[in-house]
Amino acid sequence: MTRDAVKNRLHRLIGHDSLHFWDIEDHIDLLAALPEETREEVFRQIMAIWPVSYALCFAFLNQLAKGLNCLQIDQLAAWVNATLDVYENSGLQAASRFLAEVENNFACKLRGTPGLTLEEARGRLQPYLTGLAGYEIAISTGVAAYTDTTTIFLAPEISTFDAKEQNFLLYKLTTTIQWAFIANGLFRLSIPSDGPLLAPLPSKSKPGRAVENLRLLDFCALFPQPKLARDVLLLAETVRATAFLHRELPGLMRDFAPLCEQLNQLRPALSSLSGPDQFVEQLKQWVISGTRNGNWSRKEVDPGIFDLCHPASLTDPAASVRNSAAFTIAIYGELGRSHLDYRGTPPIPYAGVLKPRQAEQAGKKRREESKKLFIQALAAYLPESKSEVQKTLIPPAAQPPARQGEQEQTAVIPPGRKKESTDSPPPPDLLSPQTFITLDDEELQLPESLQPLLREIANDLGHIPPEYISSASQRAGHGRIKGSAGPSDEAETPTGTSAICYDEWDFRRSGFRKNWCTLLEKELQPATGTFIADTMHKYRGQLRRLRRQFEMMRSQQCFVKRQRDGDDIDLDAVIETHADLAAGLPVSERLYIRLLRDRRNINTIFLVDMSSSTEGWVLTAIKESLVLLCESLSMLGDQYAIYGFSGMKRSRSELYHIKHLDEPYNDTVRNRITAINPMDYTRMGPPIRHASNLLANRDATTKLLITLSDGKPEDYDDYKGDYAIEDTRHALIEAKNRGIHPFCITIDRHAHDYIAHMYGEVNYIVIDKVEKLPGRIPQIYRNLTA
Amino acid sequence: MTKTSEKIAEHRITEEPFYLPQCNELQIAEAAYRNGLPILLKGPTGCGKTRFMHYLAWNLARPLVTISCHDDLSTSDLVGRYLIKNGEAIWTDGPLTAAVRAGAICYLDEIVEARKDTTVVIHPLADDRRELPIEKTGELLTAPPEFMLAISYNPGYQSVLKDLKQSTRQRFVAMEFTYPPPDLEAKIIGKEAGIDQPTAHSLVKLAKMTRSLKDAGLQEGASTRLLIHAGKLIASGIQPRVACRATITETLTDDHELLAAIDEMASSIL
Repeated sequence: MTRDAVKNRLHRLIGHDSLHFWDIEDHIDLLAALPEETREEVFRQIMAIWPVSYALCFAFLNQLAKGLNCLQIDQLAAWVNATLDVYENSGLQAASRFLAEVENNFACKLRGTPGLTLEEARGRLQPYLTGLAGYEIAISTGVAAYTDTTTIFLAPEISTFDAKEQNFLLYKLTTTIQWAFIANGLFRLSIPSDGPLLAPLPSKSKPGRAVENLRLLDFCALFPQPKLARDVLLLAETVRATAFLHRELPGLMRDFAPLCEQLNQLRPALSSLSGPDQFVEQLKQWVISGTRNGNWSRKEVDPGIFDLCHPASLTDPAASVRNSAAFTIAIYGELGRSHLDYRGTPPIPYAGVLKPRQAEQAGKKRREESKKLFIQALAAYLPESKSEVQKTLIPPAAQPPARQGEQEQTAVIPPGRKKESTDSPPPPDLLSPQTFITLDDEELQLPESLQPLLREIANDLGHIPPEYISSASQRAGHGRIKGSAGPSDEAETPTGTSAICYDEWDFRRSGFRKNWCTLLEKELQPATGTFIADTMHKYRGQLRRLRRQFEMMRSQQCFVKRQRDGDDIDLDAVIETHADLAAGLPVSERLYIRLLRDRRNINTIFLVDMSSSTEGWVLTAIKESLVLLCESLSMLGDQYAIYGFSGMKRSRSELYHIKHLDEPYNDTVRNRITAINPMDYTRMGPPIRHASNLLANRDATTKLLITLSDGKPEDYDDYKGDYAIEDTRHALIEAKNRGIHPFCITIDRHAHDYIAHMYGEVNYIVIDKVEKLPGRIPQIYRNLTA
Repeated sequence: MTKTSEKIAEHRITEEPFYLPQCNELQIAEAAYRNGLPILLKGPTGCGKTRFMHYLAWNLARPLVTISCHDDLSTSDLVGRYLIKNGEAIWTDGPLTAAVRAGAICYLDEIVEARKDTTVVIHPLADDRRELPIEKTGELLTAPPEFMLAISYNPGYQSVLKDLKQSTRQRFVAMEFTYPPPDLEAKIIGKEAGIDQPTAHSLVKLAKMTRSLKDAGLQEGASTRLLIHAGKLIASGIQPRVACRATITETLTDDHELLAAIDEMASSIL
């Protein structure tokens, strides 16, 4: 192909306005030189990237030569797909980097190297972690492993070992260890600033001002080289956490043991290091070897270091984070004599790094959140009459608290911990008993919904601060929210809008654009008017007929005769048998009658197109048919919902609530139907996916999703043409895969050929005359459900 | 009638079932029995409701008639019906009627599975009348003092359709059953499955983890019954992780990621 032909082709693909020829000038030669087949594939990929990001498309062209060097033509699409995923998750820069390092990031994976990405492992890791912790801790990507107490950050990929399973094991151990750090109280470190523990520290490093208790962040700041202190403290904690895991999760440690050797072989050689670096590296290798069997022996390390460490003081089940602090002070004292700076060697992969500042910030944020939630939930739970009484939370076995004269009247103690436990929290018990609340002399069990929250707070602070309870008791009665009292009840949430993200199918890359559309659930302001009355009057004859038809569908129960067993005797059959017997004929055993009940168990969601193109007759017809439908359905008792949809661009796909599944058909619903008005555009994917979600969670045997629209899906942005048709089609296929029967009713003068493709052969009907619609819809519904 | 009592005699429990009380459930149930009150057991599946009924029946020395309810259970399945035998219509008692006549304990398991109109026949039995009208024969059967009615259901299935009507539930003395506390549960598993306490404790730990996944994808966590199954396989020499996979992981879910996650839990613990 000549340069000009390539240029023209690109112009056609991309459009003149957005393309300056100097942008692509450099690439034209490359494209022109490619074999025909490859060039066509590249053009196809350009079409996939261009609508997502122009800049990314240029980055793609820049790296194309490199990519073609190490990829086959048929791998090009997968490469672009992976790039787009990176772009949508982490932005342009990350995607450009991804493109640039095609060999490391992509090609090696295609060849089946054993590396494991966090995305691959997450599906297994996240529920595992939730089960382990008993509450939700998020998993996210970070450069080195660490935790800020609400999230555990893990490397985006692990390729340390030769097998995927082993790499997964490293992910699993890392997650477990990070959880153990949280659960064993590393982040709850609290040392009295004038206590004996800090005595060995040179006085100048002690805080000048009176700080009552040093928290983790303050503690690390005491040392002239905080990084060294953090690393040593984390090593001590790793020993403690590993010992804990050997006790609690022996299976995991047994599985991991063979890998410790390999991990140590990957460590830097001690001879290449000096001063504190060498010392700490030696400690790290010793910690890794000890991970194997939970026994940190003298053999593996310098005897001098071993004597300093006293691993027994860390592996003891009663050891606390204070022992680790003492360990840190001792080791630091030893190292402080050397005047070399500490640079540090790579962290132990599963222990990662310690980031006290992040933990402090996340902890503060979470404490505020859980405090709010806890107070709200407890306030809603506490009986109003008790709101003035002092409340004490105690474990069931504990003594009734001395309420008078003591300062801590409202102290709250979580399961398994004594009040003093902030000083030396015992290792967390995986099987802690339930907590009770004592109001005056009555013992009330806390509702199950509060347990995870309570656990979380206890884990965070080591105890439950008394003000949590006193605030709750003040709010008791006032804070009660109607309905359930679960922590999910947010009084502050503005009603009517909630945003949910949905993926969108991009056929050009045969993949999803992740979290591409935002769907907002909105309330439709009910409007009054004569519309309903007019419609009822206009169709009064038809309505009477429809009602009768629907009434006949109602639980068609009937007696079935001549059954082998049943509720009653079928007299006809018995008489016949007698006659047969007398005549010497073989007799039937089918002598009973049974009542057969046809239980309808149908859930239906109607999605109504509220785009501007429906304005006028079409929308009126749709509204009228909704009225007829609702009137007929009220005869039947099937559960159904009606939502209108419209919106503009992917950030504002709107779903208007007209009737929920459990809502009765009443005047408010009628007024909402009256209020249906043409809005903006038709982006069909998000509402279909949302409705499928709603239906998928229902307990019905038949689930129907009926869409009413007036033609092609189309939005203001690039949601049009094939893209829109394919996304809609895919959303419907997803629904079908979830056990939902989608059915689409299109009001259009002509049955276009794309419709069969979009909706699937038998799942649609085209109504060419608008005025027929109101009569047809109830009929269609009847046929679908009969 | 002798035939009925013979049949009922089969339901007598001759050996003491193994049951460790969690709380004061036995005292409450016995007090209810002495006062002629019916009982309602609620709790998740496999936490010991049915075993408790066996234990109670053994303690009270009454036969136990258990009826597993299903949505096709009709009134005549409970009360009885006419059958044609040798050209004659002969009345045959249903299990409920038989239990009332013999003064047995009638236990309707998973009562919410039965249709609501079926549930209503137990109403006159469950209040102070303690009588069972048999419509078809015109008989009004009054329950002897030894008769007891018990029902169970699992409030975990939060479905509008599967809820117990107030008019039914407000006739009963209700007792909530949960999974036993860890030590007790380990003891139960140890005894039932014949495994040592450390293994039993590990199983309990695994169950605890799956139970905290209850709202994160699982409908319910592993029940004590599942743990006993796992324990039994382990006692028969099946490798612990394999046993957990077969009895716990695979029974809880079909979701691949959750399967993998529960496997990871099991392999961490065992």
